[in-house]
Parts: sequence; structure tokens; C-alpha cells
Amino acid sequence: MAKSILALCRHAPYGNALAREGLEAILACAAMDQVPSVLFSGDGVYQLLEQDPVAINEKSLRRNLQALPMFGIEHIHVCRKSADARGIAADTLQLAGAEIVLLADTGPFIRGFDQVLSF
Amino acid sequence: MQFTLVVYGAPHSSEGAATALRFARAALATGHSIYRVFFYADGVHNGSALAAPPQDEQDLLGQWQSLQQSHALDLTVCIAAAQRRGLLSESEANRLEKPSANLADGFTLAGLGQLAEAAAVSDRLISFGG
Amino acid sequence: MTLHIINQSPLGGSALQDCLGSFVEGDALLLIEDAVYAAASPAEHKLPQGQVFALAADAQARGVTLAQAVTGIDETAWVDLCVAHTPIVSWFR
Repeated sequence: MAKSILALCRHAPYGNALAREGLEAILACAAMDQVPSVLFSGDGVYQLLEQDPVAINEKSLRRNLQALPMFGIEHIHVCRKSADARGIAADTLQLAGAEIVLLADTGPFIRGFDQVLSF
Repeated sequence: MQFTLVVYGAPHSSEGAATALRFARAALATGHSIYRVFFYADGVHNGSALAAPPQDEQDLLGQWQSLQQSHALDLTVCIAAAQRRGLLSESEANRLEKPSANLADGFTLAGLGQLAEAAAVSDRLISFGG
Repeated sequence: MTLHIINQSPLGGSALQDCLGSFVEGDALLLIEDAVYAAASPAEHKLPQGQVFALAADAQARGVTLAQAVTGIDETAWVDLCVAHTPIVSWFR
């Protein structure tokens, strides 16, 4: 029986490979018809900010995140407390083709899943 | 119950892999099964055949291999994460024209689809951070 | 109900804080590896009341004495916790 899967993204882009490798895993799950829900929490919310990593020889992770809707992930969940704590105006977060869903309380949301992949 | 373990930590670098081994042994000893151990991110280094820790330190590679042998454990290393970090099977080393292969016996290279599949079919998935 | 697993020391990063932000009454919290340092003084670290566990071997290794509010468990009891809870969420680094 198929399981509901949540990808919990808690790492900032570039400083740690887990942000990018997390996205790769999310896309792989979606490609296998195991479309996960995605929650950005903690430093993970930094992934959603505008980025220009050319000078550090990296590809823009945010641009790659824009593939999510094409893989059937149209709702991007964001922990509002995490955004607030980092001085990010959560209401201004955007991702082309996706709807940003701000969660005031992530606990009950997380509880609704069978499996959680932490990245 | 069927478990899948996801290991993110490099051996002898962070504690995650050693903790995952402790969990795996306890799960198997209490009659549960392990559907797959998936090594991702820095966790792929667990599959290196070249690890040579001093004799008075624990041998994590040997522990994975002996569990693999005694329980026919599925030890899958993410191929994309492994290539980046220089962990190659014989065929990958040939294909990529690299001087040598280092994937240890008992480990298999495979794609991220194996993580998705394991998450879908296992009763429980547990991650061991790096 | 969720089993939350933390492996980072309480002030080593945001793992504990992020986890507590997602903790719902009825969930269980397991401290492993460096997170066991929080088990010595659960009130200071605002750990929830009840359903807080720590790997006894990890605490012993670090010379951490578990506060009374924290239940020390072995690996077998950890497996049982996993059987009794879904999902299992790891908060690390």
C-alpha cells in the first residue's frame, strides 16, 4: 500500500549539499509516482529567497525548485515561525507555478504523513 | 515490521552510521526486517572498500558487511551522490574512465528511485543524520 | 503520533528548537548522540512534559546523568518506539 511522504527541508542552500540533494530526492520520488509533500522549515526557508550563485560556481537552487510544480508538487509548505525568526516576510515568498502555503503550526501537519524524509 | 534506514553520515566522521548499525542490529534481533539501508549524501562513504581504521577502533565497514551477509541486507548506495564523492563500482569506474573502483562487497549502487520505492513500501522509514 | 528524534546538542544548532516548534502533545521525543546533553536539564531546554526518552548508552558515553523526567532506553526500546509511532522525524545538524 502506498504511503504518504513528506520531505522536510531544513538546510540552507550552498553551505550544505543536503539542500540540493534533498531536492534531487524529492524530484526522484515524484518521478516514481510517489509525489511527496514538501515543507521548508528552519534554515530551509532560505532556499526560497532570490539567489545568484554564479560567482561561487554553483547553479541556482531556487531555479531548480521551480521544477517542483512540473513534477506535480504545486503546494510549497513553509513554516511561518521559521520565516519570522529569520526576518523573512513570509507573505512575500514566491515560487513560479506554485502556491506557497504558510503553516502557523507544523506539528499537526507533520503528523498526517506516514513517512518523513529529512533533508 | 519492515524498516528502511536512510544514512546521511560518513563513517568515522559523524556518529550517524554507527548509530544506524546499533538500530539495525536491535531491529533484526527483535524479529523485524530491514527492507533497505539507503546511503545518501556523505553516507555513501560507508560503501568504500578502502576504509582502513586502526585496529583498536570499530570497523564500520566490516559491521555493515557482516550484517549484510547474515541477514541478506539490501545496502544501496545512491549512485549520483556516490559519483560526486568518488565512490565507484568496477563498471562505473570503467565507464567514467577513472583509475580504480572502490565499492565494497555487499553494497549496490542504484538510483534515487530506490529511496522512493523503499519509502512507499516500508512500514517505517528512519533517517540517521550526519 | 510522531516520534521526533534529535541528534544535535541543544545549543549546537537549531535542531532542538525546530523540533520543539513541531511537537504536538502526544508525540514522543527521543534524544540520541549529542542531543542527550539536553536530557540533563530538560526544563532549561524547554523539553515537553512526558514522552521524553534518551538513548542510555549515548548518555553514559558522555557522562550525562538523565534527569528524572527523561526515560533512558536501550536500542530495543527504540525499535519499539518506532513501531508505536508514525511518522518518524529526524532533526539533525
